[in-house]
Amino acid sequence: MAALLALEPAGLRRVLKAGLRQGVDDAALRALVAAEFCCEPDAAAVDHLFSQLEGRQWLVRQGTVWKTRLA
Amino acid sequence: MVKILAIHSFRGGTGKSNLSANLATVLAMGGRRVAIVDTDLASPGVHVLFGFSPTGEQQTLNDHLEGAAPIRSCAHDVSPAEVKQAHGHVWLVPAAMNGDRIARLLREGYEVEKLNDALFELAQVLNLDVIVVDTHPGINEETLLSTAIADCLMMVMRPDGQDYLGTAVAVEVAQRLDVPAVRMVVNKLPSYFDAQQVRERVSGSYQVPIGALLPLCDELLTLASGDLAVLRHPSHPWSVGVQQLAQDLVTSVL
Repeated sequence: MAALLALEPAGLRRVLKAGLRQGVDDAALRALVAAEFCCEPDAAAVDHLFSQLEGRQWLVRQGTVWKTRLA
Repeated sequence: MVKILAIHSFRGGTGKSNLSANLATVLAMGGRRVAIVDTDLASPGVHVLFGFSPTGEQQTLNDHLEGAAPIRSCAHDVSPAEVKQAHGHVWLVPAAMNGDRIARLLREGYEVEKLNDALFELAQVLNLDVIVVDTHPGINEETLLSTAIADCLMMVMRPDGQDYLGTAVAVEVAQRLDVPAVRMVVNKLPSYFDAQQVRERVSGSYQVPIGALLPLCDELLTLASGDLAVLRHPSHPWSVGVQQLAQDLVTSVL
């Protein structure tokens, strides 16, 4: 969680925070990223961000939702 | 949908556990299903207020975080008679009181997201309305998680110079983590302090609404954390302050 606190920009913190609690489904996460970074939900940049976060294992898929794992 | 209320303080001795237990009880007196989770794994204590002491057979939060114990088996019904009469429930998830187990968990650590998942699983299996999280003072992984997932963070402080400075750090953390609602609770306010002056200093320092100013009182000292003030002394100003805080939360958060 210390990593979450230190992250910049704030939009990225909010994206990862959305994956806490019960997780967030793909459509809602895409909409959040789009709102935070002023792009379309299906933009290639969104896929790239998901891929980067998944590659770092900060976001993991659990069933139908994305969950944040920052430990 | 369950609401998470995190009760936090930057320093110890603020009366955070006392507030957690009494606030949970007031909310349950309104017919709600409430769980109180002791995430102060280094120095647990909220169980004392419910007269509960985990025996060797009874599982604690440590059993879930360290092993395979289902979180449901770590939740114990501690509903006082008055709460049952009001058709409410209070479950307590205590932390282990055994020194070896406390040391082991602190030494070996655990995946903090397991605590997140445990809270929401518990909410589902017990059909909870509210989870009150009693945190460890200061900043650590559990308190950051509790802050990040909270619907409302209550910062408890005494009118003390060290508390003013430390609380500023915790409020900044809450702002970085976009906590939807924050309330300041000033506890143990001596009678010779000017309450209005304290109110203005606190709200001016943090730009955060004040949830309650709770007096330092002999009645609470007499209870010695062995009982719940809101049930034993419901008309006392301290208890009335907790009831008003609960009403504020019901109106604006729950």
